[in-house]
Amino acid sequence: MKQIISRIMAVMLAVGLFAGMTQQAAAEKAFAEKKIVLQISDPNPFKQTLVLNVANNLIKYYGMDRVEIEIVAFGPGLRLLFEENANASRIQGLVDSGVRLSACKNTIRNMGKKLGHPPALNKNAVKVSAGIVRIIELIDKGYVLVKP
Amino acid sequence: MKKSCKNFVLAATSAAILAGVAGSAQAANWLFLQGTERPGAAPRAKVWGFIQPEYQSTVDTKLKAGPWKGQKAVFNQSRPQLKTSSSFNVLRARIGVRGVAMPLDSNVNYFFLAEFGNNGITAGGGGAVKLTDASVTFNHMKGARIRIGQFKTPGSEEGLQAIHVFDYINFSNATNGLLLERFFNSDGSTQVGANKPNGSVSAFRDIGIQMFETFKVNNWEHSYAIMVGNGNGINRNDNNDNKELYAYWSSELVYGGKGPRRQGMKLFAWYQDGQRTLAAGPSQTVQNFDRMRSGLGFTYRKGKHRAAAEYINADGMIFTGTDGAALPGAVSNNGALTASWNMATKGKADGWYVHYGFAPTPKWEIDFRYDVYNRLTNSTLGERKFDTATLGLQYFFNKKTRVTINYEFRNADAPGYAGSSPVNQILDSLDDRVSFNVLAIF
Repeated sequence: MKQIISRIMAVMLAVGLFAGMTQQAAAEKAFAEKKIVLQISDPNPFKQTLVLNVANNLIKYYGMDRVEIEIVAFGPGLRLLFEENANASRIQGLVDSGVRLSACKNTIRNMGKKLGHPPALNKNAVKVSAGIVRIIELIDKGYVLVKP
Repeated sequence: MKKSCKNFVLAATSAAILAGVAGSAQAANWLFLQGTERPGAAPRAKVWGFIQPEYQSTVDTKLKAGPWKGQKAVFNQSRPQLKTSSSFNVLRARIGVRGVAMPLDSNVNYFFLAEFGNNGITAGGGGAVKLTDASVTFNHMKGARIRIGQFKTPGSEEGLQAIHVFDYINFSNATNGLLLERFFNSDGSTQVGANKPNGSVSAFRDIGIQMFETFKVNNWEHSYAIMVGNGNGINRNDNNDNKELYAYWSSELVYGGKGPRRQGMKLFAWYQDGQRTLAAGPSQTVQNFDRMRSGLGFTYRKGKHRAAAEYINADGMIFTGTDGAALPGAVSNNGALTASWNMATKGKADGWYVHYGFAPTPKWEIDFRYDVYNRLTNSTLGERKFDTATLGLQYFFNKKTRVTINYEFRNADAPGYAGSSPVNQILDSLDDRVSFNVLAIF
């Protein structure tokens, strides 16, 4: 009986370790050669298209396993990460290719005051304390900042 | 109103049945392209517009019979002043602003457009610049978006489509005669003055409130619109208590692309009903007259091919042109009559067009349209039949600039009269027409 229990525990441990590795792989690509942070803080809607195009072109050039991309949105650029955004299907395609999305909490709070409620965000967006701080953190980790 | 409701239900049912049976769709969703902005991705104010200079010419055949024999024929003159048979003109010059007033809130957007060109909108008096569109759309209720103000009414494809993607220079006869509405104070039945229009042409627009939505099912888009408007043209309020009712349905199979030149196949049906107030009859008594229009059709756009067809039906008030096809205000040869614009207050009419376009390269497009307009089909002696075959060529300098050349083979006859009758001789004065225009969008 003890033998069976220990075997089950060993299997569970192995499964747990594997799952943990998988999650880590999703967050940080083990074979990434390039790390790019894309900043969007501009009110011009064309900039949204430009940022998405750049992300797409980077993935096409390097391959989705060879490049890490995080889009950091703050200020008027946060509209890119609104749930209702007209580019939602393109954004989802990039997320499926491993692109991460960060939304500035300061901007969310300020927009919430103007709207009367916090804006509904893309379900893939991760809230960060401040967009600019997130960019500095990523630069410290070796990311290259690009502001299309 | 009961009649309107009954007709509306019939039209809506027909549209629903049509949509259910047909299984095709359109090339562009005009309701959304004109009435909404891209959520989360629209500017606060986007300035845009277009300029459309043109040249039109006929050989200016004079009237061959009738009281104005030997005088200029109205249908051979250049719009909108009708003073010459060949003319350069800046037909349209529009500038507008559209967007979301508060970029954080995509639920409210606006559309503003003004006309500076020389056409039926501005030539009707009251200033050289006229507002064509001014509307606000509320997108709070998905399934029932609300647009209020002055804007294009949900209806015929030729009227509803953005004019800067229209493949021809002149509208088909039925659209021009039945849908591009002229407004008068009188039916013109008495020979007093020219009975000139009392304002701008409708420009396929009205002032009112519209409820609309598009439902996406896989690659299909099903759209509806219901609108209540004044039915009294643009830039003025109503002149009676009867409101115009509009209903529209389309189903579109989207092949790809986006915007006004999206590839797809669309079936559509529409209906509008209302009343007009004007003085009519020998005593020129002011009365209300019914005016109903309905239609159905399809558009197709895929790769190098474009096609469209539409049938238009009319009941009630019908615009019938001028007396003897003379220029409005022209005095007859014997000095007894003055030609005026006329309206048949209780008439029937129908018409249709078919269009095919082929673009062998992105720069060139060849177009062909054939259209027929049967005016006053309820009257043996009043009926007139117009048919026109139009050959067109378009050259695109780029996506925003093109030149269009049209040659129209025009024909008209009165089937209730002998071929040699004066009426048919007058109609035989109708010339072919050559025209070209340049369009630059900014």
